[in-house]
Amino acid sequence: MTDCEQALHEIERYLDGELEGASIADLEVHLEDCSPCSDRAEFQRRLKLVISSKCGQSSAAEIPQTLRVRIRTMIRSQSTDTRE
Amino acid sequence: MSETRHATDAELTERFERDVTPLLPNLYSSALRMTRNPADAEDLVQESMLRAYRGFRGFTEGTNLKAWLYRILTNTFINTYRKKQREPQTVQTDDDVEDWYLFDRLAAQSTEASAEAEVLDRMPDEDVQAALEALPEGFRLAVLLVDVEGFSYKETAEMLGIPIGTVMSRLHRGRKSLEKALWEKAKERGIVDD
Repeated sequence: MTDCEQALHEIERYLDGELEGASIADLEVHLEDCSPCSDRAEFQRRLKLVISSKCGQSSAAEIPQTLRVRIRTMIRSQSTDTRE
Repeated sequence: MSETRHATDAELTERFERDVTPLLPNLYSSALRMTRNPADAEDLVQESMLRAYRGFRGFTEGTNLKAWLYRILTNTFINTYRKKQREPQTVQTDDDVEDWYLFDRLAAQSTEASAEAEVLDRMPDEDVQAALEALPEGFRLAVLLVDVEGFSYKETAEMLGIPIGTVMSRLHRGRKSLEKALWEKAKERGIVDD
């Protein structure tokens, strides 16, 4: 059985995919029955999503074309340097 | 002589460009969050790509390329850019921020359930980015690697060279500080009442 205190303590690890098998099932049973805990879990899930979508690759300034060119040039020159 | 045929440089270069180039946008966006400015982010990515290319022969095809590249990016940042940026290595943050800081404040404001999360969606990208970038380095990297890039605690621990328990505590404390910063931003923007 999972009580609220334990549930709230485990929500972060659960949402990070880091909770182990039996604990997942216990927590999910608790969240189904307890709306205060499931509201918090849902909020935390959305917060994680917002951080990832607003700070991640899709939100970033596009990678500068000049950087792509610099990297390609560097790789090509490395490749010929070591061909001896 | 080994019996295994070694890839030629040309083959290696081709494989590098084919497999690594698609991950450049992720790496650049993480570099921006790490260095907090575009010029340093470009240099960091370029330096990391050079190191990755030089070590690419040692990378086992079929294993996690993204994790391998992020380990190089993170190490390059920690070893090179941190020194350059002269950022004090503080691993301190607001320890007085209580758990559920943001949820409790938003819940106190709203009458409808689910309104709490809608406030988050209305926060401009720049505000969330600034809140993340304001975190001390140790916390910023943990939140970036786990929440933004989706690495496991174990992978993150390996990249940062710290125990898993330390990753967990940095994540927890980093997220709380981030929640506090988001709350302040939301107040400034008038998205929530003071």
